[in-house]
Amino acid sequence: MMLMPPFELHHPKSVEEACELVSSFMDSGESFDWVAGGTDLLPNYKWHINVKKHVISLAKISGTDVISMTEIGAMSRLGAITESKDVHPLIAEAAAKVASSLIRNNATLGGNLCVDTRCFWFNQSEDWRRSIDWCHKEDCGTGSDCRVIPNQNTLCVATYQGDLAPSLMVLEGTIHLIGPNGSREVPAEEFFQLDGITRNVLQEGEFVLKVTFPENVSERVGSYHKLRVRESWDFPEAGVSAAWIPGQSETLRVASTALESIPRLHSEQVAELSGDFSASKITDLSVAVMKSIKPVNNTALNPRYRKAMVKVLAKRSLRKILEASE
Amino acid sequence: MSGGYKQQPGAARGTTRKDGKRVAGKQKFPPPGSGGSNPNMAPRDLDWIPESVGGKEPQPAGSHIHDRYRTGTSVGKPRALVDSHAKVTGQAWYGDDVRLQNEIIGKILRSPHHYAKIKSIDTSKVEALPGVLAVATGQDAPNTFGVLPVTKDEHAMAVEKVRHVGDLVACVAAVDEATAMEALNLFEIEWEVLEPVFDPKKGLEDQDEPIHWRGKYHVGKTNVQKRVFQEFGDRSLVEEPSASSHGKWRMEGVHHGFTEPHAVVAHWDPNGRLQLYTPQQVPHYAHRALSTVLEVPMHQINVIRTFVGGGFGGKSDPFPHEMCAAILARKAGRPVRINFSREEVYWINRGRHPSHIEVKMTADEDARISGFDIDALIDGGGFASFGHVTSYYNGVLATAPYELGSFHYTGARVWTNKPASGAMRGHGAVNTRCAVEVGLDEMSEQLEVDPIDLRLANLLPPHSRTISGFRITSNGMREALERVREGSNWDQKFRQMPLGKGIGIGCGFFISGSGLPIHWDPNRFPHATVHMQIDMDGGVTVHTGAADIGQGSTTAVAQVVSEVLALPIEMIHVRSHESDTSPVDLGSYSSRVTFMNANAAIRAALDIREKLLNAAWEMIGYHPDVLVLNDRRIYYKHDPAVGVSYLEALHKAQEDKGSLIASGAYRSPPMGGVHKGAAAGLAPAYSFSAYVAEVDVDVETGLISCTDVWAAHDCGKALNPLAVEGQIIGSCHMGLGQVLSEKMVYGRTGHLQNPNLLEYKIPSVHEMPNVTPIIVESSDPEGPFGAKEAGEGPLLPILPAVVNAVYDAIGVRIRELPLTPDVVWKAISAKTKSMDGIDPTDLPAPRLNHGPLQATLVERGNEHRERDKKRQRSEDTSAYVNGVLFGFDPERPMEDQVEGWKTAVEPVPEQLAELGLAGKAWLKKEQRHMGGEQ
Repeated sequence: MMLMPPFELHHPKSVEEACELVSSFMDSGESFDWVAGGTDLLPNYKWHINVKKHVISLAKISGTDVISMTEIGAMSRLGAITESKDVHPLIAEAAAKVASSLIRNNATLGGNLCVDTRCFWFNQSEDWRRSIDWCHKEDCGTGSDCRVIPNQNTLCVATYQGDLAPSLMVLEGTIHLIGPNGSREVPAEEFFQLDGITRNVLQEGEFVLKVTFPENVSERVGSYHKLRVRESWDFPEAGVSAAWIPGQSETLRVASTALESIPRLHSEQVAELSGDFSASKITDLSVAVMKSIKPVNNTALNPRYRKAMVKVLAKRSLRKILEASE
Repeated sequence: MSGGYKQQPGAARGTTRKDGKRVAGKQKFPPPGSGGSNPNMAPRDLDWIPESVGGKEPQPAGSHIHDRYRTGTSVGKPRALVDSHAKVTGQAWYGDDVRLQNEIIGKILRSPHHYAKIKSIDTSKVEALPGVLAVATGQDAPNTFGVLPVTKDEHAMAVEKVRHVGDLVACVAAVDEATAMEALNLFEIEWEVLEPVFDPKKGLEDQDEPIHWRGKYHVGKTNVQKRVFQEFGDRSLVEEPSASSHGKWRMEGVHHGFTEPHAVVAHWDPNGRLQLYTPQQVPHYAHRALSTVLEVPMHQINVIRTFVGGGFGGKSDPFPHEMCAAILARKAGRPVRINFSREEVYWINRGRHPSHIEVKMTADEDARISGFDIDALIDGGGFASFGHVTSYYNGVLATAPYELGSFHYTGARVWTNKPASGAMRGHGAVNTRCAVEVGLDEMSEQLEVDPIDLRLANLLPPHSRTISGFRITSNGMREALERVREGSNWDQKFRQMPLGKGIGIGCGFFISGSGLPIHWDPNRFPHATVHMQIDMDGGVTVHTGAADIGQGSTTAVAQVVSEVLALPIEMIHVRSHESDTSPVDLGSYSSRVTFMNANAAIRAALDIREKLLNAAWEMIGYHPDVLVLNDRRIYYKHDPAVGVSYLEALHKAQEDKGSLIASGAYRSPPMGGVHKGAAAGLAPAYSFSAYVAEVDVDVETGLISCTDVWAAHDCGKALNPLAVEGQIIGSCHMGLGQVLSEKMVYGRTGHLQNPNLLEYKIPSVHEMPNVTPIIVESSDPEGPFGAKEAGEGPLLPILPAVVNAVYDAIGVRIRELPLTPDVVWKAISAKTKSMDGIDPTDLPAPRLNHGPLQATLVERGNEHRERDKKRQRSEDTSAYVNGVLFGFDPERPMEDQVEGWKTAVEPVPEQLAELGLAGKAWLKKEQRHMGGEQ
């Protein structure tokens, strides 16, 4: 049995109230976490990983669970997204591949975007982590080295294993953030920021409000392929999304996830096609995408294999969007 | 009592004749004795009474000694387990459901080091923490214990040194869990860290500080806990083979993954007796170990087995946390509860051994199997547990179902600084079985024959003796193979499907109850005892120590009693939770419970039956030989209207005595050879199974999906077909986990990397194939109503069936388990590379063109089918000993017939140079032969 460490749970009813609450914590220097569905945060809490004094739930803030073709609220449950007929089919497909239906009923879009990076040296109980003298990501004040890339404690290479990010990127999604200092927007591909500890551009006190897509997003055809041992509920070991507006090669976008500490949009590799996307280019592009990523050994399957699979997943995603356009 | 029950009492129509006489079988009767939901007696159901005693139940495998006690009440009928209501309504009380007044919470301090000496432990700060009520360390209980009397190497908590990360160091009890957890951080311990060993190969080498020390029996200064050498048969047969297979396997350790984490509550009652609540498969061993460790006589301890949320072998050792709870409770004077987290479950482990297995096998020009040569190095982790037995099982359980020309086995189990391996469903047999069955597949390819026909032409018949001296009684191997072949449409699929689709076969052989009760002499004490009591209300209370761990042993016992006494199962109440009221029982391991306890229960029930029939005899004047027991009524066979109700007979029997009591016991007959280790693998009966698995392999990613399984298992007689099918499907699931995704990952630092259910990848229902369970009934002469085990054996064949199916799909043999996609991909990549870097989607799928031997094997298989049928029905009572297929005379000792026929348990010096990995353990001498410790 695992005992949940104590924390104080807050339920702001509006964005404004949430911002006021978080301001007060920041002013008094008290630690806090945001929680949406809790399917990522609470297991980590039970392992006594980065436990904070206050937890602010976004669940009761109204209007944050909109689901439409061009906008999805951060509190939208993945289960609802999966079943929605309004959402872009690629988002529904990717959401359906997240964990299991039980978890999807609680998990949210915002939570999936902000999911903590994972590493088998890190996602362990306190006793376990003590037995390896902690690690860089959660060093408990010891200045411990990274256990994946030893002899350094400046870079965290924990893997980002969110499923939805690459699909948001290839659909040109924009992530809307809000906090005590006002709101801002960032393109999905710029939301994530190295390293495994920094994770994304969210400033202290900020949270994700919604994701929007361009008006013409429905014209895009996309496909997401995910590698995992058990289809039933495993995190991705690698994932590749691709989308384009059929016939318009310059609109092609390819993104990958679960390979490094942030998901990536592969603009450079796509650019090498010089605007000519056709069946004959699939293998070259897939190889280029594969070569651009550097997975490390901190998930269930070894990095050499995961890297090799990027080629297969990219090939399958690209083939599918090409076939769907015929 | 043959000749048949012609009467059908209780039928509704035509009860009078014109002449006024009664029509046999058509009378109305007064209501039977109390009990059951129906006040009227149910008609005798001839569909459930065997042909041999006049019923309609077909008996293709012949009659059985228990047939005359069949009443058509329970046996053979599919029914829900008797404890299912408690479980589905959430009322079953598992370990964590026990709540005693005033209980406090115990927590265990675990080692952060792989291997270290404890120089000192300072508990003063822990004791000073408000809310802490008791603290204990290894010094509080220095006596050793272990599940096997020969290898007691465990302590309640580390006494001198810790042996793996997670090993128990100390424990604390506090008013609540948070306080106890806080207290764990206050222990001050001085360590001297020692050099750990993780690789079992390193365990074979001498070390400055071996993990345990066995005194004069210690092998050199190594970490070898047990070594085995066995050689039987004519080794010259393996020279110049016409086919051979040589495979080196690497199998990762796997865990049982039972649903319920360990939990224990200890309470010293007002009389100073220990009441210990624990979900144990083997309460009696825990009972013994508690007595030793706590230095309290056994009669002052009551072990209460709670409902067990799955065991599979993982709850059969006496556990140190059980001792800890008792020690803390004694110190605190209050009940102490300890609940494990999932991570702690992995730290106590006792799962299947990580293994290096090498199998060489050969076949001669007639495709007879001339030799198995097996070498198994198994990684025992920090403690011995069941390892002594596992070391034998890895070899000896491969001596059947095939007839062998020779058999050679070297095995070694080494201690390493990891959580201890132990017994797990299919104990010791699973890994070797997989290696052997895959070897047969490879040989059949070389011989250009169908692998099923190769097997069918090399099976031992019923009533035979294996090369190592095991007595095989009933044997449904052939029928199992034939039925999966037919069910799976094998002949239309094997080696004929497109790349990526494959089908494979695997067989299994397992003990049905270990022949040797570990703690006592089988010639003096029985394996199992069952007590029975019937009071005036007519309900039957059965006391047994059989530990129901979800497999349905309580139901099996209730069913056989219900069958013999012809009472509705609702009238049978099985009490099996407390050692105070249950007769001593060895518990649920080695698939012994149904076989042994149901046999004991039948005997007790027969005693009661006799008393009831004698009472009826006194009342109606007909001898018991012509009396019939049916649903709550006893009547004259030839005129069912003449009879008494069950309750009337019972009350008559109770006159002057009060409630009826009876006791029944089972002991296995003397059997087996006399060589060292001959008792390992010995069982009163053996189960057989054959599975065909069909898989889809994604050749680009290496992902395997098992789509269909046809699973035939010979369980002798399915007392409860529903439970047997459940066991078959459940075994499939568990075996699939081991073959496809489950492994305990020890990373480069030796830490268990995945002690949780997200990263320890048990297949979910989504990954389950369609399983078609096929029950084969070979009617074991010694089993209760012919039954044998169905709990462990069905796991064995799924592994090789899948591995062979993968070969059929992609033409690549992989000898590394589990077949995770990275492993498969690596093997495919190596293959495509060797073929000029072709694309994996262009790989050729393997094909088979039957060679000349195919016809020979089919013919021999057909002859053997006739032979087996006769032997099964006991028409052919001649002796059959492994070796007859090779032309030996079963009536004369083999040694007299061929020079060099062996039964050896130690290597001769000239063999030492050519021993396999585990065999290298024989290069070292024991201390007593080294002039060392005497």
